[in-house]
Amino acid sequence: MNRGYYWLITALSIPAFLWLIPTLWMISLSFQPNEVLARTTSTTAFGLVPIPFTAENYAALFSFGQTPMWFLNSAIVALGMTLGVLAVSTTAGYALARLEFPFKRAILVLCLVGLMVPEQAVFIPLYTMFADLGWHNSYHALILPRMAVPIGVFLMMQFFKSIPKDIEEAARIDGVGWLQIFWHIMLPLARPAMMTLAILTFLYAWNDYLWPLVSAREPERFTITLGLASIQSNFAQSEGLGRVMASGVIASLPVVILFLMFQRHVVRAMTAGGTKG
Amino acid sequence: MAKGRHRARGLTEGQAAAVLLLPFLAVYAAFLVYPFLNGVWISLHDWNLLAVAFNPDAREFIGAENYIRTLWGRNIEWGLFASPVMQTGGVLGIGLAFFGYRSGRLTRATALALGIAGALFFLMPGFHPGEGGRWYDRRFWPTVGNTITFVALAVPGVTLTALILAAALDGETRAKAVLRTVFFLSQVLSVTVVTLIWQIMFSPRQGLIANVAQALGGSPIVWLTDQQLAMAAIVITTIWWSLGIAMILFLAGIQDISKDIYEAAAIDNARGIRAFWYITLPNLKRTITLVVVLQIILHFQVFGQAHLMTQGGPNDSTQVLVRYIYQTAFRDSELGKASAMAVVLFLIMGAFSLVQFILGREGDER
Repeated sequence: MNRGYYWLITALSIPAFLWLIPTLWMISLSFQPNEVLARTTSTTAFGLVPIPFTAENYAALFSFGQTPMWFLNSAIVALGMTLGVLAVSTTAGYALARLEFPFKRAILVLCLVGLMVPEQAVFIPLYTMFADLGWHNSYHALILPRMAVPIGVFLMMQFFKSIPKDIEEAARIDGVGWLQIFWHIMLPLARPAMMTLAILTFLYAWNDYLWPLVSAREPERFTITLGLASIQSNFAQSEGLGRVMASGVIASLPVVILFLMFQRHVVRAMTAGGTKG
Repeated sequence: MAKGRHRARGLTEGQAAAVLLLPFLAVYAAFLVYPFLNGVWISLHDWNLLAVAFNPDAREFIGAENYIRTLWGRNIEWGLFASPVMQTGGVLGIGLAFFGYRSGRLTRATALALGIAGALFFLMPGFHPGEGGRWYDRRFWPTVGNTITFVALAVPGVTLTALILAAALDGETRAKAVLRTVFFLSQVLSVTVVTLIWQIMFSPRQGLIANVAQALGGSPIVWLTDQQLAMAAIVITTIWWSLGIAMILFLAGIQDISKDIYEAAAIDNARGIRAFWYITLPNLKRTITLVVVLQIILHFQVFGQAHLMTQGGPNDSTQVLVRYIYQTAFRDSELGKASAMAVVLFLIMGAFSLVQFILGREGDER
């Protein structure tokens, strides 16, 4: 470690601190009393230090208001979507990577084309379709469209292709059926890739805004991302700035914890999601 | 594990494939292929959301009328000097692509993409209403223009910052890992949290920026309601939010560059900034192109920032394409026209996705 290195780290710490300020500010405001915030947001060190301090905003959040319900909705939708995407992606990914069957190329090309269709290009017909079915304001309406996005299939397919074929061939000679091979041999091997896909899907589900905005019109079915958007437009007047900020902190907590715990997986997942779809 | 001694009871390979593929293909057909085709179908109709909801026959087939109503106008002419700046830029782009490819400085795909972009910039702004003419939809092309402005500001902003940070933060030390975490963290937040934070950051009365400016003796700036600054505010927010992925992709690219090259260069006294300029940058060309294309695709779909921070205003200056589609469909109930715009969006995105796909292919072949 030479002198230049320490200079570099010191020089980069300044922008890094600036980069953190918006997040720190949100957290700090969430711990300040609403009456104070209504007057000024820069009581101590431009409001970056929560003095005067209160935990009142969080207590209020959980005793009344809809934030806990939205949080629960988000958890159900995100977990449901993650399980759903994992189920259809591992099965289809394995079949496309390892099995031979008619029309394989055509199916592959069809899936590849689907990668190029953005959510924004299908949300109107999806809306009319779900309206005809009477499915809006439900969990499955929020979950199903993402299960149709082929990115997971491609991630899993690439992974299964990278596993040596001899394991399967040995099992085939022993007379093990294809489905057993998939279930008992390949799935356990695929855990790292499934982890990546699960994180990618969970982050997407938790943070998605456009489709929930279109589909969930009743506040009882809002996700936390959507609910937060619905209260931020009139934040200062009705809710109190501190409480809205507390909602923002609560809404971010699962993804931030996920990120800090599984940083390598998250980075890999977002890279895969970014480059492939 | 099942260990049958005889031939596998169960399914043939084809049957097994069918069982495994069916769940995905079913949801894929139902919730992506069908809606997509249905979207094209809707775009060919005069289709009012509320009217059709009450009476399914209230729609009318009108062919390409929605596309004409969106894209065209009365007495539209094409002129060489309708928008001199953009058209000159387009010609320069075509020239750059041609000579870049001839001299071998650009790969075929890059040159092709640049050439097509140049041609579009030369052709498209040339259209304008002639005498007594007007666009059928006065808001559509300005909205496309705003979206392009947003992309043109956000993409270089993110790319440059991410590139510099990645070059500086490449390495296995603990301090660098912490700094990488800091710069990546905002990427995992949702658009509503990000806009919540920045809306208040930019607020002239309560905002941190205004408070600091006042403490330094300045006066607070009205960011989000100023016609010039609103777009800048959204771009700043976006750079803060989405720097992470670009930085990570650049870090991966830098790690692929052989350490030997740097060591050899260090003997010639090329370290730090010179090593970045003469070694990192040239070796990172493909990654840079990939990141730029990815960002274009990502940011062309911008919605949340404009919807939540400025509501497209002031005076439509931050109205972007996806928000216009959303409003046309769900505020004005004009599903047919909104679908036509969505198809146009898909075609633009599809073109960029194709470029991305070709670039990815080229990389795999190496």
